[in-house]
Amino acid sequence: MRETHFKSLQYLTGIGIFFLVGLHLLISHLSSGEPEAWSSVAKRAASAGWLTIYILILIFGIYHVMHGVRGIVLEFSLPPTAVKALNWAIIFIGVAIFGYAVYIPINAYMV
Amino acid sequence: MKATSDAKIPLPNRLGIKGWAWAGRYKIERYLYTLHRITGVGLAAYIFIHLIANGFRLGGEDTWEGIMSAFSNPGIKVGEYLVMAAFIIHALNGGRLILQHMGLTLGKPNPPIYPYVDSMRRRRPLTWIMLAVIAALAIYVLVEFVISGA
Amino acid sequence: MEKLTFKVQRYDPDKDKKPSMQVFTIPFRHGMTVLDGLIYIKENIDNTLSFRSSCRMGICGSCGMLINQLPMLACHTPIEELHSDKIEVKSLPNFPIIKDLVADLSPLFEKHKSIKPYIMTAAVAEEIEKPTAEFLQSQEHLEGFVQFAYCVKCGLCMAACPTVATDKHFLGPQPLAQACRYSLDKRDDGAKERFKQTDIPHGVWLCHLAGACSEACPKGVDPALAIQLLKRAMVADGFKLSKKKASPTVAAPLSEKKPKITVPEFTIKKPGAK
Repeated sequence: MRETHFKSLQYLTGIGIFFLVGLHLLISHLSSGEPEAWSSVAKRAASAGWLTIYILILIFGIYHVMHGVRGIVLEFSLPPTAVKALNWAIIFIGVAIFGYAVYIPINAYMV
Repeated sequence: MKATSDAKIPLPNRLGIKGWAWAGRYKIERYLYTLHRITGVGLAAYIFIHLIANGFRLGGEDTWEGIMSAFSNPGIKVGEYLVMAAFIIHALNGGRLILQHMGLTLGKPNPPIYPYVDSMRRRRPLTWIMLAVIAALAIYVLVEFVISGA
Repeated sequence: MEKLTFKVQRYDPDKDKKPSMQVFTIPFRHGMTVLDGLIYIKENIDNTLSFRSSCRMGICGSCGMLINQLPMLACHTPIEELHSDKIEVKSLPNFPIIKDLVADLSPLFEKHKSIKPYIMTAAVAEEIEKPTAEFLQSQEHLEGFVQFAYCVKCGLCMAACPTVATDKHFLGPQPLAQACRYSLDKRDDGAKERFKQTDIPHGVWLCHLAGACSEACPKGVDPALAIQLLKRAMVADGFKLSKKKASPTVAAPLSEKKPKITVPEFTIKKPGAK
Protein backbone atom coordinates (compact mmCIF):
# COMPACT_ATOMS: atom_id res chain seq x y z
CA MET A 1 0.00 0.00 0.00
CA ARG A 2 2.90 2.29 -0.83
CA GLU A 3 1.05 4.84 -2.90
CA THR A 4 -1.60 5.06 -0.18
CA HIS A 5 1.07 5.84 2.41
CA PHE A 6 2.68 8.46 0.13
CA LYS A 7 -0.69 10.15 -0.43
CA SER A 8 -1.59 10.04 3.27
CA LEU A 9 1.70 11.84 3.99
CA GLN A 10 0.73 14.37 1.31
CA TYR A 11 -2.50 15.08 3.21
CA LEU A 12 -0.73 15.32 6.57
CA THR A 13 2.02 17.60 5.26
CA GLY A 14 -0.67 19.72 3.59
CA ILE A 15 -2.39 20.24 6.93
CA GLY A 16 0.97 20.96 8.58
CA ILE A 17 1.90 23.49 5.89
CA PHE A 18 -1.47 25.23 6.30
CA PHE A 19 -0.73 26.00 9.94
CA LEU A 20 3.04 26.55 9.78
CA VAL A 21 3.14 28.61 6.58
CA GLY A 22 0.03 30.47 7.71
CA LEU A 23 1.90 31.45 10.86
CA HIS A 24 4.99 32.32 8.81
CA LEU A 25 2.93 34.54 6.48
CA LEU A 26 1.22 36.31 9.36
CA ILE A 27 4.40 37.01 11.31
CA SER A 28 6.99 37.43 8.54
CA HIS A 29 4.98 39.20 5.86
CA LEU A 30 1.67 40.57 7.05
CA SER A 31 2.34 41.87 10.54
CA SER A 32 3.08 45.53 11.26
CA GLY A 33 6.55 46.78 12.25
CA GLU A 34 8.61 46.01 9.13
CA PRO A 35 8.91 42.24 9.45
CA GLU A 36 11.22 42.11 6.40
CA ALA A 37 13.75 44.57 7.79
CA TRP A 38 17.17 43.21 8.84
CA SER A 39 16.50 43.74 12.55
CA SER A 40 13.33 41.60 12.50
CA VAL A 41 14.98 38.97 10.28
CA ALA A 42 18.02 38.76 12.57
CA LYS A 43 15.79 38.49 15.64
CA ARG A 44 13.87 35.55 14.17
CA ALA A 45 17.10 33.93 12.97
CA ALA A 46 18.39 33.81 16.55
CA SER A 47 15.24 32.11 17.86
CA ALA A 48 15.28 28.32 18.37
CA GLY A 49 11.49 28.25 18.00
CA TRP A 50 11.61 29.89 14.59
CA LEU A 51 14.49 27.59 13.53
CA THR A 52 12.28 24.59 14.38
CA ILE A 53 9.37 26.07 12.45
CA TYR A 54 11.54 26.77 9.39
CA ILE A 55 12.97 23.24 9.38
CA LEU A 56 9.48 21.74 9.71
CA ILE A 57 8.17 23.98 6.91
CA LEU A 58 11.05 22.81 4.72
CA ILE A 59 10.46 19.11 5.45
CA PHE A 60 6.68 19.30 4.96
CA GLY A 61 6.85 21.74 2.06
CA ILE A 62 9.50 19.95 0.05
CA TYR A 63 7.75 16.58 0.48
CA HIS A 64 4.39 18.11 -0.51
CA VAL A 65 5.81 19.91 -3.55
CA MET A 66 7.88 16.95 -4.80
CA HIS A 67 4.98 14.51 -4.39
CA GLY A 68 2.73 16.94 -6.28
CA VAL A 69 5.27 17.30 -9.07
CA ARG A 70 5.62 13.50 -9.19
CA GLY A 71 1.85 13.20 -9.70
CA ILE A 72 1.89 15.73 -12.53
CA VAL A 73 4.81 13.97 -14.27
CA LEU A 74 3.05 10.57 -13.88
CA GLU A 75 -0.02 12.01 -15.57
CA PHE A 76 1.89 12.63 -18.78
CA SER A 77 1.55 8.91 -19.57
CA LEU A 78 4.88 8.07 -17.95
CA PRO A 79 5.41 4.36 -18.68
CA PRO A 80 5.21 2.14 -15.56
CA THR A 81 8.81 1.03 -16.23
CA ALA A 82 10.07 4.61 -15.77
CA VAL A 83 8.33 5.17 -12.41
CA LYS A 84 11.28 3.89 -10.38
CA ALA A 85 13.65 6.33 -12.14
CA LEU A 86 11.15 9.14 -11.52
CA ASN A 87 10.96 8.24 -7.82
CA TRP A 88 14.74 8.36 -7.44
CA ALA A 89 14.95 11.64 -9.37
CA ILE A 90 12.29 13.17 -7.10
CA ILE A 91 14.08 11.96 -3.96
CA PHE A 92 17.44 13.26 -5.21
CA ILE A 93 16.09 16.69 -6.15
CA GLY A 94 14.08 16.95 -2.92
CA VAL A 95 17.05 16.06 -0.71
CA ALA A 96 19.30 18.47 -2.65
CA ILE A 97 16.85 21.36 -2.21
CA PHE A 98 16.38 20.51 1.46
CA GLY A 99 20.12 20.35 1.98
CA TYR A 100 20.63 23.80 0.45
CA ALA A 101 17.59 25.37 2.11
CA VAL A 102 18.13 24.06 5.65
CA TYR A 103 21.73 25.33 5.65
CA ILE A 104 20.49 28.95 5.63
CA PRO A 105 18.46 29.07 8.88
CA ILE A 106 20.92 26.76 10.70
CA ASN A 107 23.85 28.95 9.67
CA ALA A 108 21.97 32.12 10.64
CA TYR A 109 21.13 30.58 14.03
CA MET A 110 24.72 29.51 14.71
CA VAL A 111 26.17 32.97 13.91
CA MET B 1 -14.39 -10.00 -45.86
CA LYS B 2 -11.14 -8.22 -45.00
CA ALA B 3 -8.39 -10.23 -43.33
CA THR B 4 -7.43 -9.23 -39.78
CA SER B 5 -4.01 -8.04 -40.98
CA ASP B 6 -5.73 -5.38 -43.18
CA ALA B 7 -7.59 -3.87 -40.18
CA LYS B 8 -6.66 -0.23 -39.62
CA ILE B 9 -5.30 0.84 -36.25
CA PRO B 10 -7.87 3.12 -34.58
CA LEU B 11 -6.86 6.79 -34.60
CA PRO B 12 -5.66 8.03 -31.17
CA ASN B 13 -8.06 10.62 -29.80
CA ARG B 14 -6.76 11.60 -26.37
CA LEU B 15 -7.54 15.21 -25.42
CA GLY B 16 -4.11 15.80 -23.82
CA ILE B 17 -3.31 18.94 -21.84
CA LYS B 18 -6.37 20.69 -23.24
CA GLY B 19 -8.45 17.93 -21.65
CA TRP B 20 -7.31 18.71 -18.14
CA ALA B 21 -6.74 22.45 -18.44
CA TRP B 22 -9.97 23.43 -20.22
CA ALA B 23 -12.98 22.82 -18.01
CA GLY B 24 -15.47 23.88 -20.68
CA ARG B 25 -19.10 23.28 -19.78
CA TYR B 26 -18.40 21.26 -16.63
CA LYS B 27 -19.23 22.54 -13.18
CA ILE B 28 -17.27 24.42 -10.49
CA GLU B 29 -15.37 21.42 -9.09
CA ARG B 30 -13.79 20.81 -12.51
CA TYR B 31 -12.60 24.44 -12.57
CA LEU B 32 -11.31 24.15 -9.00
CA TYR B 33 -9.30 21.08 -10.13
CA THR B 34 -7.47 23.19 -12.74
CA LEU B 35 -7.10 26.12 -10.33
CA HIS B 36 -5.65 23.83 -7.63
CA ARG B 37 -3.03 22.57 -10.07
CA ILE B 38 -2.12 26.03 -11.38
CA THR B 39 -1.80 27.46 -7.85
CA GLY B 40 0.24 24.42 -6.78
CA VAL B 41 2.71 24.77 -9.64
CA GLY B 42 2.86 28.55 -9.07
CA LEU B 43 3.57 28.11 -5.37
CA ALA B 44 6.23 25.48 -6.11
CA ALA B 45 7.97 27.87 -8.51
CA TYR B 46 7.72 30.70 -5.95
CA ILE B 47 9.17 28.54 -3.17
CA PHE B 48 12.34 27.89 -5.18
CA ILE B 49 12.77 31.62 -5.83
CA HIS B 50 12.01 32.35 -2.16
CA LEU B 51 14.67 29.89 -0.97
CA ILE B 52 17.25 31.43 -3.28
CA ALA B 53 16.31 34.97 -2.12
CA ASN B 54 16.59 33.87 1.52
CA GLY B 55 20.11 32.66 0.81
CA PHE B 56 21.16 36.31 0.56
CA ARG B 57 20.64 36.52 4.31
CA LEU B 58 24.01 34.87 4.71
CA GLY B 59 25.65 37.92 3.05
CA GLY B 60 24.83 40.14 6.02
CA GLU B 61 22.75 43.26 6.56
CA ASP B 62 23.94 45.26 3.53
CA THR B 63 23.29 42.40 1.08
CA TRP B 64 19.88 41.73 2.62
CA GLU B 65 18.77 45.37 2.53
CA GLY B 66 19.97 45.63 -1.08
CA ILE B 67 17.87 42.62 -2.09
CA MET B 68 14.81 43.91 -0.17
CA SER B 69 15.02 47.32 -1.87
CA ALA B 70 15.29 45.58 -5.27
CA PHE B 71 12.07 43.69 -4.38
CA SER B 72 10.24 46.85 -3.39
CA ASN B 73 8.88 47.70 -6.82
CA PRO B 74 5.09 47.51 -7.49
CA GLY B 75 5.43 44.59 -9.94
CA ILE B 76 6.99 42.42 -7.23
CA LYS B 77 4.32 43.51 -4.73
CA VAL B 78 1.58 42.39 -7.16
CA GLY B 79 3.42 39.08 -7.57
CA GLU B 80 3.64 38.68 -3.79
CA TYR B 81 -0.10 39.29 -3.48
CA LEU B 82 -0.78 36.68 -6.15
CA VAL B 83 1.37 34.22 -4.21
CA MET B 84 -0.65 34.94 -1.06
CA ALA B 85 -3.91 34.50 -2.97
CA ALA B 86 -2.60 31.26 -4.51
CA PHE B 87 -1.72 30.00 -1.02
CA ILE B 88 -5.21 30.81 0.29
CA ILE B 89 -6.90 29.10 -2.68
CA HIS B 90 -4.61 26.03 -2.60
CA ALA B 91 -4.84 25.65 1.18
CA LEU B 92 -8.61 25.96 1.54
CA ASN B 93 -9.39 23.94 -1.58
CA GLY B 94 -6.85 21.38 -0.38
CA GLY B 95 -8.71 21.16 2.92
CA ARG B 96 -11.94 20.50 1.02
CA LEU B 97 -10.16 17.84 -1.07
CA ILE B 98 -8.72 16.08 1.99
CA LEU B 99 -12.20 15.84 3.57
CA GLN B 100 -13.85 14.71 0.33
CA HIS B 101 -11.10 12.24 -0.61
CA MET B 102 -11.77 10.49 2.67
CA GLY B 103 -15.48 10.45 1.77
CA LEU B 104 -16.24 12.55 4.85
CA THR B 105 -18.45 15.28 3.46
CA LEU B 106 -19.86 13.54 0.38
CA GLY B 107 -22.73 11.70 2.01
CA LYS B 108 -23.75 8.07 1.55
CA PRO B 109 -24.45 6.20 -1.69
CA ASN B 110 -28.11 6.54 -2.77
CA PRO B 111 -29.86 4.12 -5.11
CA PRO B 112 -30.21 6.33 -8.22
CA ILE B 113 -33.71 7.67 -8.68
CA TYR B 114 -34.26 10.00 -11.66
CA PRO B 115 -33.53 12.96 -11.80
CA TYR B 116 -30.08 11.88 -10.57
CA VAL B 117 -28.26 14.16 -8.14
CA ASP B 118 -24.62 13.22 -7.66
CA SER B 119 -22.67 13.85 -4.45
CA MET B 120 -20.80 16.81 -5.99
CA ARG B 121 -24.08 18.58 -6.66
CA ARG B 122 -25.50 17.71 -3.23
CA ARG B 123 -22.46 19.21 -1.54
CA ARG B 124 -22.13 22.22 -3.84
CA PRO B 125 -23.37 24.67 -1.13
CA LEU B 126 -20.30 23.72 0.95
CA THR B 127 -18.06 24.40 -2.05
CA TRP B 128 -19.66 27.83 -2.50
CA ILE B 129 -19.13 28.58 1.21
CA MET B 130 -15.47 27.63 0.85
CA LEU B 131 -15.19 29.95 -2.17
CA ALA B 132 -16.79 32.76 -0.17
CA VAL B 133 -14.22 32.25 2.60
CA ILE B 134 -11.42 32.29 -0.01
CA ALA B 135 -12.79 35.54 -1.46
CA ALA B 136 -13.07 37.14 1.98
CA LEU B 137 -9.50 36.19 2.91
CA ALA B 138 -8.18 37.36 -0.47
CA ILE B 139 -9.87 40.73 0.00
CA TYR B 140 -8.52 41.02 3.57
CA VAL B 141 -4.97 40.28 2.38
CA LEU B 142 -5.38 42.79 -0.48
CA VAL B 143 -6.41 45.48 2.00
CA GLU B 144 -3.37 44.65 4.18
CA PHE B 145 -1.09 44.90 1.15
CA VAL B 146 -2.57 48.22 0.07
CA ILE B 147 -2.34 49.65 3.59
CA SER B 148 1.26 48.49 4.13
CA GLY B 149 2.23 49.61 0.61
CA ALA B 150 0.62 53.06 1.01
CA MET C 1 -37.34 25.43 -34.47
CA GLU C 2 -38.03 23.77 -37.81
CA LYS C 3 -34.58 22.76 -39.01
CA LEU C 4 -31.57 21.44 -37.17
CA THR C 5 -27.94 21.81 -38.21
CA PHE C 6 -25.94 18.71 -37.34
CA LYS C 7 -22.16 19.15 -37.49
CA VAL C 8 -20.92 15.55 -37.40
CA GLN C 9 -17.39 14.22 -37.15
CA ARG C 10 -16.35 12.12 -40.16
CA TYR C 11 -13.31 9.90 -40.35
CA ASP C 12 -12.73 7.17 -42.90
CA PRO C 13 -9.61 5.19 -41.93
CA ASP C 14 -9.11 4.15 -45.59
CA LYS C 15 -9.08 7.71 -46.91
CA ASP C 16 -8.54 10.28 -44.13
CA LYS C 17 -5.48 11.08 -42.07
CA LYS C 18 -7.50 12.99 -39.46
CA PRO C 19 -11.19 13.58 -38.67
CA SER C 20 -13.15 16.40 -40.29
CA MET C 21 -16.62 17.84 -39.70
CA GLN C 22 -19.55 17.53 -42.10
CA VAL C 23 -22.72 19.63 -41.85
CA PHE C 24 -26.20 18.21 -42.37
CA THR C 25 -29.56 20.00 -42.16
CA ILE C 26 -32.48 17.88 -41.02
CA PRO C 27 -36.10 18.60 -40.08
CA PHE C 28 -36.91 18.96 -36.39
CA ARG C 29 -39.60 16.82 -34.79
CA HIS C 30 -40.84 17.43 -31.25
CA GLY C 31 -39.42 14.83 -28.88
CA MET C 32 -36.58 13.71 -31.12
CA THR C 33 -33.21 12.76 -29.67
CA VAL C 34 -29.71 13.21 -31.11
CA LEU C 35 -29.79 9.52 -32.08
CA ASP C 36 -33.01 10.09 -34.05
CA GLY C 37 -31.19 12.87 -35.92
CA LEU C 38 -28.24 10.60 -36.73
CA ILE C 39 -30.56 7.80 -37.89
CA TYR C 40 -32.41 10.32 -40.12
CA ILE C 41 -29.08 11.38 -41.66
CA LYS C 42 -28.08 7.75 -42.23
CA GLU C 43 -31.44 6.78 -43.75
CA ASN C 44 -32.09 9.86 -45.89
CA ILE C 45 -28.91 11.80 -46.58
CA ASP C 46 -25.69 9.85 -46.16
CA ASN C 47 -25.83 6.13 -45.51
CA THR C 48 -22.05 5.93 -45.00
CA LEU C 49 -22.32 7.65 -41.60
CA SER C 50 -21.19 5.14 -38.95
CA PHE C 51 -22.22 5.16 -35.31
CA ARG C 52 -23.09 2.65 -32.59
CA SER C 53 -26.55 2.34 -31.12
CA SER C 54 -28.68 -0.49 -29.83
CA CYS C 55 -31.39 -0.16 -27.21
CA ARG C 56 -32.21 3.52 -27.97
CA MET C 57 -33.45 3.83 -24.36
CA GLY C 58 -30.31 4.61 -22.33
CA ILE C 59 -29.57 1.17 -20.91
CA CYS C 60 -27.00 -0.47 -23.19
CA GLY C 61 -24.43 2.34 -23.22
CA SER C 62 -23.54 1.90 -26.91
CA CYS C 63 -24.23 5.40 -28.23
CA GLY C 64 -21.82 7.46 -26.12
CA MET C 65 -20.69 10.55 -28.06
CA LEU C 66 -19.42 14.08 -27.47
CA ILE C 67 -22.49 16.23 -28.05
CA ASN C 68 -22.01 20.02 -27.85
CA GLN C 69 -18.72 19.46 -25.95
CA LEU C 70 -20.20 17.20 -23.27
CA PRO C 71 -20.13 13.39 -23.32
CA MET C 72 -23.69 12.08 -23.51
CA LEU C 73 -25.69 9.10 -24.71
CA ALA C 74 -27.17 10.11 -28.07
CA CYS C 75 -30.40 8.18 -27.41
CA HIS C 76 -30.80 9.79 -24.00
CA THR C 77 -30.33 13.40 -25.19
CA PRO C 78 -33.51 15.13 -26.41
CA ILE C 79 -32.71 17.91 -28.89
CA GLU C 80 -34.90 20.32 -26.91
CA GLU C 81 -32.71 19.87 -23.82
CA LEU C 82 -29.71 21.16 -25.77
CA HIS C 83 -31.50 24.54 -26.23
CA SER C 84 -29.91 25.02 -29.63
CA ASP C 85 -30.64 24.15 -33.24
CA LYS C 86 -26.91 23.62 -33.88
CA ILE C 87 -25.74 20.23 -32.70
CA GLU C 88 -22.09 19.23 -32.84
CA VAL C 89 -21.48 15.50 -32.58
CA LYS C 90 -18.03 13.95 -32.24
CA SER C 91 -16.83 10.55 -31.15
CA LEU C 92 -16.11 9.97 -27.48
CA PRO C 93 -12.81 11.66 -26.54
CA ASN C 94 -9.96 9.77 -24.87
CA PHE C 95 -10.86 6.65 -26.90
CA PRO C 96 -9.32 5.85 -30.30
CA ILE C 97 -11.61 6.43 -33.31
CA ILE C 98 -12.44 3.42 -35.50
CA LYS C 99 -14.63 5.29 -37.98
CA ASP C 100 -16.80 8.47 -37.88
CA LEU C 101 -18.52 8.37 -34.47
CA VAL C 102 -17.45 4.82 -33.54
CA ALA C 103 -14.89 4.76 -30.72
CA ASP C 104 -12.73 1.82 -29.69
CA LEU C 105 -13.77 1.05 -26.10
CA SER C 106 -11.35 -1.85 -25.62
CA PRO C 107 -9.01 0.22 -23.32
CA LEU C 108 -12.00 0.62 -20.97
CA PHE C 109 -12.81 -3.09 -21.01
CA GLU C 110 -9.16 -4.10 -20.43
CA LYS C 111 -8.84 -1.79 -17.44
CA HIS C 112 -12.21 -2.97 -16.11
CA LYS C 113 -11.08 -6.59 -16.30
CA SER C 114 -7.82 -5.73 -14.51
CA ILE C 115 -9.63 -4.79 -11.27
CA LYS C 116 -11.29 -8.22 -11.03
CA PRO C 117 -14.95 -7.16 -11.33
CA TYR C 118 -16.51 -10.23 -9.72
CA ILE C 119 -17.27 -11.49 -6.25
CA MET C 120 -14.21 -13.16 -4.73
CA THR C 121 -14.58 -14.99 -1.47
CA ALA C 122 -12.30 -17.64 -0.06
CA ALA C 123 -14.42 -18.13 3.08
CA VAL C 124 -17.19 -19.98 1.26
CA ALA C 125 -15.23 -21.23 -1.75
CA GLU C 126 -17.14 -24.51 -1.82
CA GLU C 127 -20.44 -22.62 -2.01
CA ILE C 128 -19.08 -20.56 -4.93
CA GLU C 129 -18.08 -23.75 -6.80
CA LYS C 130 -21.26 -25.72 -6.01
CA PRO C 131 -23.96 -23.24 -5.05
CA THR C 132 -26.82 -24.50 -2.92
CA ALA C 133 -28.64 -21.25 -2.10
CA GLU C 134 -28.37 -17.49 -2.36
CA PHE C 135 -26.07 -15.35 -0.17
CA LEU C 136 -27.95 -13.29 2.40
CA GLN C 137 -27.67 -9.53 2.25
CA SER C 138 -29.71 -6.96 4.15
CA GLN C 139 -31.30 -3.96 2.45
CA GLU C 140 -28.85 -1.73 4.29
CA HIS C 141 -25.86 -3.72 2.98
CA LEU C 142 -27.26 -3.50 -0.55
CA GLU C 143 -27.78 0.26 -0.36
CA GLY C 144 -24.12 0.67 0.57
CA PHE C 145 -23.03 -0.18 -2.97
CA VAL C 146 -25.99 -0.79 -5.30
CA GLN C 147 -25.75 2.72 -6.80
CA PHE C 148 -22.36 1.76 -8.27
CA ALA C 149 -23.77 -1.47 -9.73
CA TYR C 150 -25.93 0.48 -12.19
CA CYS C 151 -22.91 1.13 -14.43
CA VAL C 152 -23.59 0.31 -18.10
CA LYS C 153 -19.90 0.65 -19.22
CA CYS C 154 -20.75 3.42 -21.67
CA GLY C 155 -17.37 5.16 -21.19
CA LEU C 156 -18.77 8.69 -20.74
CA CYS C 157 -16.96 9.08 -17.41
CA MET C 158 -13.64 8.13 -19.03
CA ALA C 159 -14.28 10.74 -21.74
CA ALA C 160 -14.96 13.42 -19.11
CA CYS C 161 -12.03 12.63 -16.79
CA PRO C 162 -9.15 15.17 -17.02
CA THR C 163 -6.60 12.60 -15.85
CA VAL C 164 -7.63 10.07 -18.51
CA ALA C 165 -7.15 12.92 -21.04
CA THR C 166 -3.41 13.00 -20.41
CA ASP C 167 -2.55 9.63 -18.84
CA LYS C 168 -3.20 6.50 -20.89
CA HIS C 169 -2.10 4.26 -18.01
CA PHE C 170 -4.57 5.73 -15.48
CA LEU C 171 -7.28 3.21 -14.61
CA GLY C 172 -10.09 5.72 -14.95
CA PRO C 173 -13.37 6.41 -13.15
CA GLN C 174 -15.28 3.34 -14.38
CA PRO C 175 -12.80 0.62 -13.28
CA LEU C 176 -12.14 2.43 -9.99
CA ALA C 177 -15.85 2.79 -9.27
CA GLN C 178 -16.35 -0.90 -10.00
CA ALA C 179 -13.40 -1.79 -7.76
CA CYS C 180 -15.26 0.12 -5.02
CA ARG C 181 -18.57 -1.60 -5.87
CA TYR C 182 -17.09 -5.06 -5.35
CA SER C 183 -14.91 -4.12 -2.39
CA LEU C 184 -17.89 -2.63 -0.50
CA ASP C 185 -20.06 -5.66 -1.24
CA LYS C 186 -20.37 -7.62 2.02
CA ARG C 187 -20.35 -10.88 0.07
CA ASP C 188 -16.89 -10.10 -1.29
CA ASP C 189 -13.58 -10.90 0.35
CA GLY C 190 -11.22 -9.77 -2.39
CA ALA C 191 -10.66 -6.10 -1.49
CA LYS C 192 -6.95 -6.65 -0.78
CA GLU C 193 -6.52 -8.34 -4.19
CA ARG C 194 -8.14 -5.37 -5.86
CA PHE C 195 -6.12 -2.87 -3.85
CA LYS C 196 -2.99 -4.36 -5.46
CA GLN C 197 -4.42 -3.13 -8.80
CA THR C 198 -5.57 0.28 -7.54
CA ASP C 199 -2.61 1.13 -5.30
CA ILE C 200 -0.23 1.61 -8.23
CA PRO C 201 1.41 4.89 -9.37
CA HIS C 202 -1.24 5.22 -12.13
CA GLY C 203 -4.00 4.05 -9.80
CA VAL C 204 -6.65 5.69 -7.68
CA TRP C 205 -4.40 8.41 -6.25
CA LEU C 206 -4.18 10.24 -9.59
CA CYS C 207 -7.86 11.12 -9.13
CA HIS C 208 -8.06 14.69 -7.83
CA LEU C 209 -11.86 14.98 -7.63
CA ALA C 210 -12.70 17.06 -10.67
CA GLY C 211 -16.19 15.53 -10.48
CA ALA C 212 -16.65 15.56 -14.26
CA CYS C 213 -17.23 11.78 -14.27
CA SER C 214 -20.27 12.03 -12.01
CA GLU C 215 -21.58 14.94 -14.04
CA ALA C 216 -21.31 12.94 -17.28
CA CYS C 217 -22.71 9.65 -15.97
CA PRO C 218 -26.13 8.99 -17.56
CA LYS C 219 -27.19 6.37 -14.99
CA GLY C 220 -26.57 8.30 -11.76
CA VAL C 221 -23.76 5.95 -10.73
CA ASP C 222 -21.71 8.83 -9.20
CA PRO C 223 -18.26 7.33 -9.86
CA ALA C 224 -16.61 10.25 -8.04
CA LEU C 225 -18.26 9.17 -4.78
CA ALA C 226 -17.27 5.56 -5.40
CA ILE C 227 -13.64 6.53 -5.96
CA GLN C 228 -13.49 8.58 -2.75
CA LEU C 229 -15.03 5.68 -0.79
CA LEU C 230 -12.42 3.40 -2.36
CA LYS C 231 -9.69 5.79 -1.20
CA ARG C 232 -11.14 5.70 2.31
CA ALA C 233 -11.15 1.91 2.28
CA MET C 234 -7.55 1.86 1.03
CA VAL C 235 -6.34 4.30 3.70
CA ALA C 236 -8.12 2.25 6.38
CA ASP C 237 -6.49 -0.90 5.01
CA GLY C 238 -3.09 0.76 4.61
CA PHE C 239 -3.03 1.82 8.26
CA LYS C 240 -4.66 -1.41 9.49
CA LEU C 241 -7.78 0.46 10.64
CA SER C 242 -10.35 -1.57 8.72
CA LYS C 243 -12.60 -4.03 10.52
CA LYS C 244 -12.53 -7.65 9.43
CA LYS C 245 -15.56 -8.44 7.28
CA ALA C 246 -17.83 -11.22 8.50
CA SER C 247 -18.00 -14.21 6.15
CA PRO C 248 -21.02 -14.10 3.85
CA THR C 249 -23.88 -16.29 5.02
CA VAL C 250 -25.94 -18.50 2.79
CA ALA C 251 -29.72 -18.66 3.04
CA ALA C 252 -30.93 -21.56 5.17
CA PRO C 253 -32.71 -24.44 3.38
CA LEU C 254 -36.51 -24.31 3.42
CA SER C 255 -37.88 -25.59 6.72
CA GLU C 256 -40.87 -27.37 5.23
CA LYS C 257 -41.36 -29.13 1.93
CA LYS C 258 -44.62 -28.18 0.25
CA PRO C 259 -46.36 -30.68 -2.07
CA LYS C 260 -45.92 -30.10 -5.77
CA ILE C 261 -48.98 -28.32 -7.23
CA THR C 262 -50.45 -30.23 -10.17
CA VAL C 263 -51.36 -28.15 -13.20
CA PRO C 264 -55.07 -28.63 -14.00
CA GLU C 265 -56.24 -29.70 -17.48
CA PHE C 266 -57.95 -27.10 -19.69
CA THR C 267 -61.77 -27.14 -19.38
CA ILE C 268 -62.18 -25.77 -22.90
CA LYS C 269 -61.50 -28.43 -25.50
CA LYS C 270 -59.73 -27.61 -28.77
CA PRO C 271 -62.03 -27.49 -31.86
CA GLY C 272 -62.30 -30.91 -33.39
CA ALA C 273 -61.12 -32.72 -30.23
CA LYS C 274 -63.33 -35.45 -28.81
